[in-house]
Amino acid sequence: MKHFKITLFVAMLVVFLVACGGEEETGSEPNESSSNPTGDEETGDSSEMNSEKTELNMALSVDPDGLDPHRTTAASTFQITNNIYDTLVKVTPDGEFEEGLAESWETSDDGLTITFTLRDGVVFHNGREMTAEDVKYSFERLKGEESPRAGDFANIVEINVIDEKTVEFVTEELNVALLSNFAYPWTAIVPEEASNDLRNNPVGTGPFKLEEWIPQQHLVLVKNEDYYDPAHLEKVTFKMMPDATSQVSALQAGELDVIGLTGDLVGQFEGNDQFTILENQANSIQLMAMNLENEALSDVRVRQAIDLAVDKQALIEAVWWGYGEEIGSHYPPILKEYVDTNDTITYDPERAKELLAEAGYAEGLELDMYLPASYQAYVDAGQVIADELSKVGITANIEIVEWATWLSDVYTNRQYDLTVVGHTGRLDPYVLLSRYHTESGENYFNYSNERVDEILTLVQKERDEDVRVALYQEMQEILAEEVPALYIQSPTILMVTASDVAGFKTYPIDIYEMKDVYFTN
Amino acid sequence: MLNFIIQRLLSGIGVLFFISIITFVVLMWIPGNPALLSLGTDATPEKVEALKESMGLHVPWYEQYINWLIGFLSGDWGTSYVFGEEILILITQRLPVTLSLAALSLTIAIPFAVMFGVISALYQNKWIDYMARSLMQLGDAVPQFWLALLFLVFFAAGYGWFPVAGFTPMEEGFWVSVHSILLPSIVLAIGQVGPLIRIIRSSMLSSLEQDYMLMTRVNGLSRTRAIGKYALRGAIIAPLTIVGMQLAGILGGAVLVESIFALPGIGRLLLMAVEQRDLILLQGVVFFITSAVVIVNIITDILYRLVNPMIRFGGNHE
Amino acid sequence: MSRLRNNKLFVLGIILVSMVVGLCAVSFFYLPHDPNVMNTKERLLSPSVEYLLGTDQFGRDILSRIMVSSRYALFIGLVSVSIGAAIGLFIGAIAATSKGIIQGLLMRMIDGLMAFPGILLAMMLVAVLGEGLWNAVLAIGIFMIPVFARLSYSLVLDQKDELYIKAAQSYGTSRTRIIFKHLLPTIMPRIITQFSASIGNAILIESSLSFLGLGVQPPDASWGLMLSESRQYTLTYPFLSVPPGIILVITVLGFNLIGDAVNDSMVKRRAAA
Repeated sequence: MKHFKITLFVAMLVVFLVACGGEEETGSEPNESSSNPTGDEETGDSSEMNSEKTELNMALSVDPDGLDPHRTTAASTFQITNNIYDTLVKVTPDGEFEEGLAESWETSDDGLTITFTLRDGVVFHNGREMTAEDVKYSFERLKGEESPRAGDFANIVEINVIDEKTVEFVTEELNVALLSNFAYPWTAIVPEEASNDLRNNPVGTGPFKLEEWIPQQHLVLVKNEDYYDPAHLEKVTFKMMPDATSQVSALQAGELDVIGLTGDLVGQFEGNDQFTILENQANSIQLMAMNLENEALSDVRVRQAIDLAVDKQALIEAVWWGYGEEIGSHYPPILKEYVDTNDTITYDPERAKELLAEAGYAEGLELDMYLPASYQAYVDAGQVIADELSKVGITANIEIVEWATWLSDVYTNRQYDLTVVGHTGRLDPYVLLSRYHTESGENYFNYSNERVDEILTLVQKERDEDVRVALYQEMQEILAEEVPALYIQSPTILMVTASDVAGFKTYPIDIYEMKDVYFTN
Repeated sequence: MLNFIIQRLLSGIGVLFFISIITFVVLMWIPGNPALLSLGTDATPEKVEALKESMGLHVPWYEQYINWLIGFLSGDWGTSYVFGEEILILITQRLPVTLSLAALSLTIAIPFAVMFGVISALYQNKWIDYMARSLMQLGDAVPQFWLALLFLVFFAAGYGWFPVAGFTPMEEGFWVSVHSILLPSIVLAIGQVGPLIRIIRSSMLSSLEQDYMLMTRVNGLSRTRAIGKYALRGAIIAPLTIVGMQLAGILGGAVLVESIFALPGIGRLLLMAVEQRDLILLQGVVFFITSAVVIVNIITDILYRLVNPMIRFGGNHE
Repeated sequence: MSRLRNNKLFVLGIILVSMVVGLCAVSFFYLPHDPNVMNTKERLLSPSVEYLLGTDQFGRDILSRIMVSSRYALFIGLVSVSIGAAIGLFIGAIAATSKGIIQGLLMRMIDGLMAFPGILLAMMLVAVLGEGLWNAVLAIGIFMIPVFARLSYSLVLDQKDELYIKAAQSYGTSRTRIIFKHLLPTIMPRIITQFSASIGNAILIESSLSFLGLGVQPPDASWGLMLSESRQYTLTYPFLSVPPGIILVITVLGFNLIGDAVNDSMVKRRAAA
């Protein structure tokens, strides 16, 4: 029961060793490239740690939505708070669970109760020692009315402090993936005395402390000397730079050490040994959702026709410059329950026209496509798909809406025909798939399938891992066949670092772990 | 005079009241809300309602407006959802950036405008006048966001003469700080030069035609001295008061320019508030900006009256 | 009029606007390529005989997209200024011919609208109305109201006390009739001047809105939108941001030059009279 394993897709860490002639950096061809299968060991000829250089600068596109982990769902927050706070359980780059603030844990035979023994001598940034009471307080705060995640933890009905170092959680219904609930960065342990202003003045037990945060400018973290596994870096500065061009220029000018990247910009760094390009498969997927409330789209033949009409490889090439892996169902290939469904429906515009004619839309069909403005890739993908659909006689009227409008009109009120968006996976595959349940509030496809509902009920209780995997795979196949959405790809996360940066790892949840990062000589 | 000032102040208050209601009502109609944004793709209707209630978003708009007004008058402008910080503090944090930007761009724009405006008035319809007017027209026609984009590509990213983004505060050295906002200031200045030249040129022209200019010539003053001593002064008073009115233009330009150069000023705060549906912040910033414009206009009107008591209001200034 | 013809800047303005109007007219009969059809294999190409201005990030012909965009620019410019002029004229005339509360209220409203700097008002309106061509037209139209309201207010105020109006009033002519029959014809030339000067501004605002993604919606092209899309490629393919910017400058410059020249000649004519 202890783990369900996520095999991280071979995290490619490509190093281009360049025959570099003096000042000429960009003109030379890469003559050798090596890849590293795990992504956790570094590059370059000198992996020796540079003890002089201990300050790192990294670019972020947006500010965190506050630094209170219990009061937001924004990924931008957890990427940073993960370094300030700590959780009971931690997750490794390849999806295993390991000890965090909890030294060990034990699950009762019925699977309903889990008991954690806490690590000794952990102190908050304010100097007070952490106890089991703090764990109880933090989870009660996470379940509180102001917490957007409260619903996810409703299953925990009792939190009992056994002694100073032992705490017990009792759940109402069996959830086989219970442990994962204690590894997410929003389950951070916080001290009650600082809880009023965690948003701006975070106090945690993590490897870094907040020194300064000036929104839209920068956020500075400094090393916490008391941490049980101290960081290598003394100081990490996150600079807020919304513009990708600025980030690239600043990295090239040496003002930054790490940036995220889009596929079109990879060429700026390829073949340059001053930089290292990191490529990792993300635990997320991108799709074009279809609203089954629409009469035409409620017909499975129309949905299949749409899938047949789009050349996904060309789409990935056009929008993401080929950095992404094609998918046929609602599941990222890096998770071990993944089953390849790419061949269920393959690109065939002629067949698409036939299916449309069969469904009674030989004369053509008009649909409204809403695209979220803040995500340029989704806007681009929508345009390419609309162009492909026009070739089989489907007119997609594009409207670009702001994210807030998208969330209210498209996602919550389900007033749309087509929309392009991404979904991030969790440590528990159930969370990724549960939105297809007929009754789910997140089922913005308005999809309903009895077998899918049944599978979703079964997997939560099924303690035999093989049976569970089989159920998840069956569900992927159903979705690939019935296509409530056009499944596009699982994206590749691209990052570029200066070549003396080492130890930068990626995780199956969206976090940056800065404590393992260091500079080489 | 006192009557005029009181009358002007009263009408200013009326305008501000109107603005505050209009923005509030307009903002209430904007789809999307902070509760939803906070939940993201985890949102379900039940979760949204619960969170809305805990954020105080479920009360009707007029009640929210009255609460806002009472708070505003007592100096409490509310707390931003996005930043979790008091709005007054957020505005004062960002004001120095936008003010430095405005000040630097005017410092660049005014000498140019005075030079070109005066020369083109003196040599009316000569080639130099045409050149100055063409430049002014070009400055008017170039979209500032495009100019900002080109400058960023060539001077910052391309040649590396300027930092690509970010603001260095004054505390870290005057010249470093100026350097960090020079490029965006030039962009804003180019937008300001056109209107300024136009005003200086036309007021210079009309002041050259004034009777006192004829008198000075009759009294035997040289043309150059007459221009330097009287015409120029007459011509510059008007534009100086109009610099105040340019404030609206600078603030408008700052919205796009600040976001392209990633400067943490009022303009970017505003765009952020729109995108994040942080309505209370948006209301605060919009009201702050419009009040500034209204107040500056009142001061300008009063100054204008003081300088030239004969002016009649209601007409245009041409 | 002969004075206008001798004004070199006016002639330049006419040439520039004719170029854009010509480009727009041609776009209805001939386009080098389909402006919306993608060909991602031929993306981000430099100018060539096949693609005179190169291709964009989806392999669409930039020249064709610029030509099609000119339709939107001219359309939005004309229609939104018309809306602004009509409503502004109405409000201004009413305010000038009323007394007390109504006059005060209307002019405070106009002052209030004027206090919104630059595109802020248009941005807020689009946020409420939703993105898209028509909403952008409406938002820019509303943005244009104060200029016309103020102008017509002061013009009507000037005319109100003229003898012929007094005479008409003494015959018992109704207010509406006086406004339409006597006032409007007299102030129309000045309004038309302002109209031509505002078109350039309206086109600029449209491009700013489109740049922010609030105007014309893809896949349709608009110069502002093309510039916004070029932002991502400023490092890899900077040329993408050049053609739409230049055509935008040409258009706005042309309309501004015409407006200015007409305005100058009006001022002179009044001075001469």
